[in-house]
Amino acid sequence: MSILNVLVTGAAGFLGQHVARALTRRGHQVRALIRSGTEVQVVGQAPWTEIYRADLRTDSVGPAFDGVDGLVHVAARVTGSYSAQMADTVLGSERLLEAMAGSATRTLVLASSLSVYDWTAVDGTLTEESPLERDLYRRDVYAIAKTWQERVVRRLSREHSFDLTVLRCGFVWGPGREYLAALGQRLGRWHLVFGPATRLPLTYVENCADCFAEVVDNRRAAGETFNVVDGHDATAWRYLGEYLRRTGSSVRRVPVPYGVALAGARLADWINERCWRGRARLPGLLIPRRFQSRFKPVRVSAHKLRDVLEWRPPFDLAQSLQRTYEALEPHTALPNRRVEVHNV
Amino acid sequence: MLRAALIGAGEIALQHLACLQALPTVTLAGVCDRSRGLAESAAERFGASAWFTDHRAMLDEIRPDVVHITTPPPSHFQLAMDALEAGAHVIVEKPATTARESLSVLLRSAADKQRVLIEDYNYLFNAPVQRIVSLAQSGDLGDIVHVEVFLCLELDESRPPAGHARVLRDRSMPGGAIGDFLPHLASLAHCFAGPHRAVRSHWSKRSVSSSWPWDEFRAAVAAERGTAMLALSLHAQPDAFWLRVHGTRMRVSAELYDRSLVVDRLGDGPRPIATVCNRLRQARDLRRTALRGFYTKLTDGRGIYDGLWSLLTRTYAALQSGTAPPISLRQIAEVNDLVAALTAEECRF
Repeated sequence: MSILNVLVTGAAGFLGQHVARALTRRGHQVRALIRSGTEVQVVGQAPWTEIYRADLRTDSVGPAFDGVDGLVHVAARVTGSYSAQMADTVLGSERLLEAMAGSATRTLVLASSLSVYDWTAVDGTLTEESPLERDLYRRDVYAIAKTWQERVVRRLSREHSFDLTVLRCGFVWGPGREYLAALGQRLGRWHLVFGPATRLPLTYVENCADCFAEVVDNRRAAGETFNVVDGHDATAWRYLGEYLRRTGSSVRRVPVPYGVALAGARLADWINERCWRGRARLPGLLIPRRFQSRFKPVRVSAHKLRDVLEWRPPFDLAQSLQRTYEALEPHTALPNRRVEVHNV
Repeated sequence: MLRAALIGAGEIALQHLACLQALPTVTLAGVCDRSRGLAESAAERFGASAWFTDHRAMLDEIRPDVVHITTPPPSHFQLAMDALEAGAHVIVEKPATTARESLSVLLRSAADKQRVLIEDYNYLFNAPVQRIVSLAQSGDLGDIVHVEVFLCLELDESRPPAGHARVLRDRSMPGGAIGDFLPHLASLAHCFAGPHRAVRSHWSKRSVSSSWPWDEFRAAVAAERGTAMLALSLHAQPDAFWLRVHGTRMRVSAELYDRSLVVDRLGDGPRPIATVCNRLRQARDLRRTALRGFYTKLTDGRGIYDGLWSLLTRTYAALQSGTAPPISLRQIAEVNDLVAALTAEECRF
């Protein structure tokens, strides 16, 4: 396996940091592209050799591609208004790939999301062949922005003949992000769990990052799209129980059958349509399409990752929980180094 | 049917597009943005017939009746001139231009071509402001003595859109981040106090680490019908947009973000009784406002932009009926004269 120079965007973020570590552990040189003003480790066991600070929306990042063999594009905005997420996630990706088109780099891995699928159209198992969202603007801002990011990246990859691999990640969790939107809704001392037996499409952050590193190394990944989930047997009820127990919370779980909760969301939606012609700004839990994308009891298949890449997550659920809540050291030490910093 | 087009698919564009989508007599013919992804997504979401990345190509191809310009301020002038040249009416976000001289050219061009030019003073058309306007017009307010406008806004780096934030930081626009909001303050003061005669302003930077050139602004204005105090703070919290109009018969206070309105009027009878009655009436007004505000927030997606929707609705109605638009060229000139006077003082610090 050859040593590659890999540019990682969003390298200071939750997933991006772990992707940089996973690539460094495999012997690759990582150049981090991070948001202007972000403070990161520049000495010691840093998972990168160089840092470029830039605003993808406005700065010209062409120089960051000099000598780069591949791009792992993790940067995206997960909160904020519609226009903020569209600007960061869609416009940022567009400008990044336009800069890449002017370089010799031709390999690209995109961090996408399971939120691009039409969850209402899936019964049983969601695979890479499942339909994409057809009523996009009834979905939350994150789903809209990630869908458009994928569209823009695919189009530019076709136009510039990039070798694109898309990884549609499930709920990424780990140290610092233990609580997940798929767990339900907290109400004071109670926590509603919608569909307690639902198996969550989880991917532990170090597993997910290892999958990105595997895709960079594995030539069979080029041109493919993969769903990234660990496939562990973690139900919403069990995961929340572990979370509450390990964080010492006194909040009590309340099971709510999925069908009952969905009926409530549909009723709210019907009232909104009848009384206010759909103009009422309801919380996402009361919008059926959004509710289904978060809680629908669907099994997400990761067979393609195993079949095509022969990849399996390095940590099982028990190990992932232990590493998350006991803040264990990374399993391999990184080399000590001084990092070169460029402000674009 | 009037054919509308929009240039600049950023933050405020969403409100313009949502309103255009709701207007039955308007068809959205095109959306343009330099980003293909943003142009195409806006076109798909709001049902535009076409999307473009070059505004001249859009103007040539679809020949719109009205062009909305919602790009960062430095590009407004050229885009508006091109749209007028293409024979379209123009609705441009504030500030219409970043230099007063450019505005004169733009106004002259609109007048010569007999096209409507609207600068977005959307707060003038918010329900509480329109209520104060009608109180003033009916004479209930008496003569206007003084106007206070105070905008408190937390404006961190991530809040404005990227291209816009850069403009506000690098002083390519007079007043930086504060200058961006001055047309709102100036249009409200102008509406009630009239064209200005003299101005004193104070610009300061309270936080050294702030990325904006100025973060506090105060001004005293002597105007044709009265005086005005304008204030803008990027530190005072919570966010609020206060308008208070003092007349010879009545004082009216409005909060434009939650759309509350409280009237303090001269009462009949002995002063202590009149004062108590006034306070009870104000408490009732506030209670009503709070409930109405909550209901509106729940059931109406326009939020604080109801004034923009009202302005656009009136503008299109005027274009169709051939009547006077809700904002005149003279009004734009006078408001921008006030903005220029306020920002001219900035240079003294």
